[in-house]
Parts: sequence; C-alpha cells; structure tokens
Amino acid sequence: MRREDSKTGMLRRPMPWLIAAVVAAFALLPAATGDVGLRETLFLAALAIVLASNLNLMIGYTGYVNFGNVIFFGLGGYFGVWLATGHGWSLYPAALAAGLLVSAVALLFGAGILRLRGAYFALATIGVNEAVSAVVTNMDAWGGSTGMYIPLDAYQPLGGPRQALWIVYFLMIAVMAVSLLLSWGIRRSRFGLGLFAIREDEDAALVMGVNPARFKAVIYSTSAFLPAVAGALFFFKNGVIQPDQAFDLTFSTEAIVMLMLGGQGTVTGAALGAFIYEYFRGYLLTSPLFSNFQLMVAGALLLVIVLFVPGGLVGWMIDRWPRLRGAIE
Amino acid sequence: MKMLRFIAGAAALAVVCVQFSAKAAAADKTLTIGFTASETGALNVDSMNQLHGFELWRDQVNAAGGIKAGGQHYKVKLVYYDDQSKAARVQQLYSRLIVQDGADFLFSPYSSGLTATAAIISEQYGKVMLTTGAAEDKTYTLGNKGLFQIYTPATHYLSAAMRLIKEKDPKARIAIAYSDDGFSKAVATAASAEAKALGETVAFDEAYAPNTTDFGPIINKIIAAKGDVVVGGGHYADGATLARQIFDQKVPLRFISLLVAPDSDKFATLGAAAEGVTVPSQWEPSAAYKPDFGPTGAAFAAAYKAKFGSDAPYHAAGGYAAGLLLQHAIETAGSTDSAKVTAALNATDATIFFGHLKFATDAGHHGLQVGHDMVLAQWQKKGGSLVKEVIWPKDAQTSPVLYPIR
Repeated sequence: MRREDSKTGMLRRPMPWLIAAVVAAFALLPAATGDVGLRETLFLAALAIVLASNLNLMIGYTGYVNFGNVIFFGLGGYFGVWLATGHGWSLYPAALAAGLLVSAVALLFGAGILRLRGAYFALATIGVNEAVSAVVTNMDAWGGSTGMYIPLDAYQPLGGPRQALWIVYFLMIAVMAVSLLLSWGIRRSRFGLGLFAIREDEDAALVMGVNPARFKAVIYSTSAFLPAVAGALFFFKNGVIQPDQAFDLTFSTEAIVMLMLGGQGTVTGAALGAFIYEYFRGYLLTSPLFSNFQLMVAGALLLVIVLFVPGGLVGWMIDRWPRLRGAIE
Repeated sequence: MKMLRFIAGAAALAVVCVQFSAKAAAADKTLTIGFTASETGALNVDSMNQLHGFELWRDQVNAAGGIKAGGQHYKVKLVYYDDQSKAARVQQLYSRLIVQDGADFLFSPYSSGLTATAAIISEQYGKVMLTTGAAEDKTYTLGNKGLFQIYTPATHYLSAAMRLIKEKDPKARIAIAYSDDGFSKAVATAASAEAKALGETVAFDEAYAPNTTDFGPIINKIIAAKGDVVVGGGHYADGATLARQIFDQKVPLRFISLLVAPDSDKFATLGAAAEGVTVPSQWEPSAAYKPDFGPTGAAFAAAYKAKFGSDAPYHAAGGYAAGLLLQHAIETAGSTDSAKVTAALNATDATIFFGHLKFATDAGHHGLQVGHDMVLAQWQKKGGSLVKEVIWPKDAQTSPVLYPIR
C-alpha cells in the first residue's frame, strides 16, 4: 500500500525525480565513458542551465527583464579567481564566498534599480553592467584590462589540471542541481506565489499584502548567488579572466533567448531551453555542413520560435497535451 | 629454365608490390594540426589573416610532398573551428580537436586570453602549441611546457620606438596615450618602464576608452604636458582617429608611433595626417632578412598576393611562420613525437623570412619569444604618394628615418 502511495506521489510530482534523473545523467555519462569531449559539452550545457534558471527567477517568476545578470557571473568569477589564486584559498570556499559577496552586492544594486519598472529597469540593468565592467577594468588589484591569469600550480591542490577539470565539472553539475531545486522550491512556495503576483500586477500584489520591495530585493539577490558560484568555477577552469570575457552582454541576451526557447516561468522550460540552445549552437559550430553559416541558422530558428511558438517549447507542449500542465512545472 | 623465369618474375612482382604498397602507405600519412580561428566576432579580421598564413603554408608543404620525418612524408591537414572570438567554447573545441579529431599538433587561437584558456587543455595532453597573436608575456609565465611564441612579446612592441627616440632626440618629452584594453595596456606599461630605464622623460601617461571617438581632451592634455612625441594607440579605429585629430589640431609633434592602425594600407587614406606616423610591426614585406630555411620575405609576399589577391599583413606572415617553424622542428627531430619536437623547438635559434626566432627555455618563461625583433615602419611620401618604409632595425632598413615629422 505504501509502495502504491509512493508511486502515485512520483507520478503527481515528477519534478524532483526528473531533476534527479537529469543530474545523474550529467554526472554519470562523462564519468562512465571518460569522454572529455562530452564532459566539455555538458559543462557548457550545465552552465547555461544555471544562468537561464536563475534569470528565470527574475524574468519568468517576477516579470522583471534583467539584461545585466552577466555581472553576477562575471563578478563571481573575479572574486573566485582573486581569492583562489591571489590569496591562496581553496576553490570550494572561494566559490562559496564569491556567491555570498555577489549576493550582497546585488542587494546594494537592487536597492537602487528595483525602484524602476518595465523598460526602465531593463535599461538600468545594462547600465549597471557597463558601470561594473568599467570599474573592474580600472582595478589594478584584479589586473585591470589585462585581467588575471591562473598559473598551472593553482590546480595542484585539486590534483593537477587534469583532475581539477573533472572536479570543477562535478561542482558545476552540483550548482546546476541546486539551481533547478531552488527554482522548483520557490515556484511551489508562498514566496513564489508572491513573486507571481508581482509579475501579474505589482500594485494589486501590494494591496493583497505582498511587500514588492522586499520580495524583489530578495529574489534579485538570490538570483545572483548561483551564477556567481558558477562564474568562479568557470573562470577557474578557464585559466584566465578578463573584463571583456566576464561582462560580455551576449551571455545575458543568450540566457534570455534560452528562456524564450524553452518557455519562461517554468523550471522545465528554462532548463530545456538552455540545454537545447547550448547543444544546438555547439553542433552548428562544429558541423561541416552548417559551420559557415551557423549564426544565420540559429537566428532563423529563433525567429521561427518567436513568431510561431511564443510560449516556448513547454508552452507548446502544454497547449498540445493539456494533461502535462500538472506534471511540468 | 621455365621454373627459373617464373621465380624471377614472381620475385620482381613481389618487389614492385612491396614498393607500391610502401609508397601508398607513405602517401597515406597525414599530420593533423588543430586550432580555433575567430571566424566571427571582434577578432575576426586579424584571426582570418592568420588563418590565410596557415593555409598558404599547408598548400606549399603539401605541393612539395609534405613534411619529411623518419623516412616518411606527412601531408598536412588543418582542422579548425570558429571560437567566435570568445573564451566560452575554447576548451570544448580544443578537447574535441585533440580527442575526437586526433590533432597531432596545435596552433593557438588568436589573442592572449584565448590562448591561455586553450593551453590548460593542450598541456594536459602534452601537445605542442605554436602561438601567434598571443603577445602578452603573462601567458608564458604560467608553467606551460608546450607553448612556443612566434611573435615578439607585448612588452617589447614599442622598444624600437623608444630606442629610436633615445638616439634621435634624447631630451624629447614622451606622451603615452593608449587604449584601455589588455594588449595595449601591457604594451604601454612596458614602454613607460623602458623609457624611464633609458633615461627618457615620460611627460604624460594615460589610457582612453577603447571606443573613444573624440580625442580632444586627450590631445589637450598632451599639449598641456608639453609632449614632443606620442606613442600608444590600440586598434585601427581609435589609432586612425587619434592620428587624424592630432593632425587637425596642428599639434607640433616630432614623432608618432601607434599600435596596429598604421600597419593597415587603409591608413594611407588619412593623407597628410598619415605622413611620418610609425607603427611597430611583427613583419613587413620589405624587411630583408636572410632566411636559414624557408622562403624569403619577397617570395612569401608574392605567393600570398598570388593566392589571396592582397598584400600580406603581419598576422598572415605570423601564421605562415608558425607552420614553417613547426615543419622545421619536426624535420630536425626526425619524428612527430611531441617530446622530440618540443626539444627541437627548445633548441631553435634561426632566422626565417619573419626574422630571428629563439625561445626562452627557463621554467619561469618557457616558450617566450626572445629572438625576434619588431620592425618599425614609417609612412613616408615617395614620388607624390605615401608608402610604408622600414626604418628600424637598421639591418632591415629600407629608408632613412624621417625625424622630426613636422
């Protein structure tokens, strides 16, 4: 009887199981096959899922379009690399500290720009990105415009570069898992309902007892934490961090495209969009057939999705199979 | 007798078959060289020129029968992907090149940042990677063992200009104005230190935003600091604009040396504003080095023009030089084994059409280029039109220095 209950529960709430299955596949496939090429592909896919899922907290859940979420990723990279190579910290506390510091910085930024709404907020996030990039470019402690390079010795505490790259990969999968669980948890929480209320009508939410200022500040800061940890991991593995790499607006716009592709506002949509977009771009770049016009193909497909599937893949699936609505969150 | 003839015939046939199969086996040998090129993105122009250099080298080597090592002939196959001028995919693509495409040797991506990223992968597999367009010195202080730099390091880009100023005008007040990007900053910082070491006066030293279009404030500061010479710049757009606005404001400068921009033939379209402006260049077609092996500069320039229909920029020459040097190291080692080729590259001390090449072999700077000198070229008026002449080093000089320029 208990077994039946558990089966019914799994069918009714498949998300945690789905997340567990995805994370297991990401972790086990490259490890079991030892395929470094697959590991690199999945590393980028996991990073894309982290960025898209956390951006989804702002855009999909709260209705605030944030073009500057790359600053969390970039600043996290700078704090992480600075602590790990400049101050001899282990990667684990350095990445965690990077996440916390950037979350605190986001609270600070949020206090200013979260007073704005709609297009004004979106423009302000671009401005913040440019300002942070300019400040970092002039910070000698972080290498200024030449950035910071990581010597091979820095990988020795993790067993040398070869092993370090595997460790960083598994850490990125862990960050992806936490991102997905966080998105799912917030979506099902009272706090998440408050965010949805803000998304639908901020003034009405205020009347209903939601404190938009506090909710927005918390979600803005929360959405900064995991991208910052991911930034620390990414740039540690990358071997070098420079302002133009760390604060490249393309990261932000690509994450928005991922949300549009998968369907914003859902855990599955953000993750699916990120995975498909990242995998597809990687395929186009290395395909002998498409590599010469990969940007054109990617652009044309995006246009098709925006014009004909505005709700993204998840929206299209729910329209087609309405019974999925309860299962896909 | 019949039996004897049969045995002789069979033996002859066997010899022919063995020779044929040996030839076929030799013809089948291929050496794969992998790299990423910036086919799209901000680094596109320079990276594509570099790719043209690789391609010309490959075509010439294969036409001549391939690389000869250990009694084998290896045809060169280039495998490359677009890195989009971004670091994000570089490690993924270099892993693919090594693991999936079976690259025997590697060329670096264009730019120091992308090269440092690729080196994390190449070092793990013990691969030799020749770097072009990765001029920053930092890349060679990270503990890599398989990187070999073809270009003169960024810290020496303006050395020739500084030495020339010291010789021609030791009391000149130097103004250093440069684009605030990684490469330009590395060059300018080293130039400032070198000027001070030579006993010269640095009257002004300031960066400007890479996308600057109005240099009025910078020029006013240079005038206020009583600068006699200007060195710096960054890339084409800012360098060309700076040169034009200096001319428009009639700043009485005795010497100008800017990075990258004046190297382009387009720079001549500035007319009188271009006259006298100098550019540190990794290579110029007119630079007359006597090569120990490979083509002369003139032969390379002619082959390049025949294939691509334009004059060879130094990025293309750098690409060709990387291939040529790799070929020479493999042939000297008599093997395609990475360790033996690394040893041959470590021992390299030779002059080719690109100039003298020698690598640092100490652990702290392994692979850093220590043999190559920059060429300093100057736009001069000859027969009513502007031409670029080599004015430094003196053994490669094609025309005397024009100093002061105004």
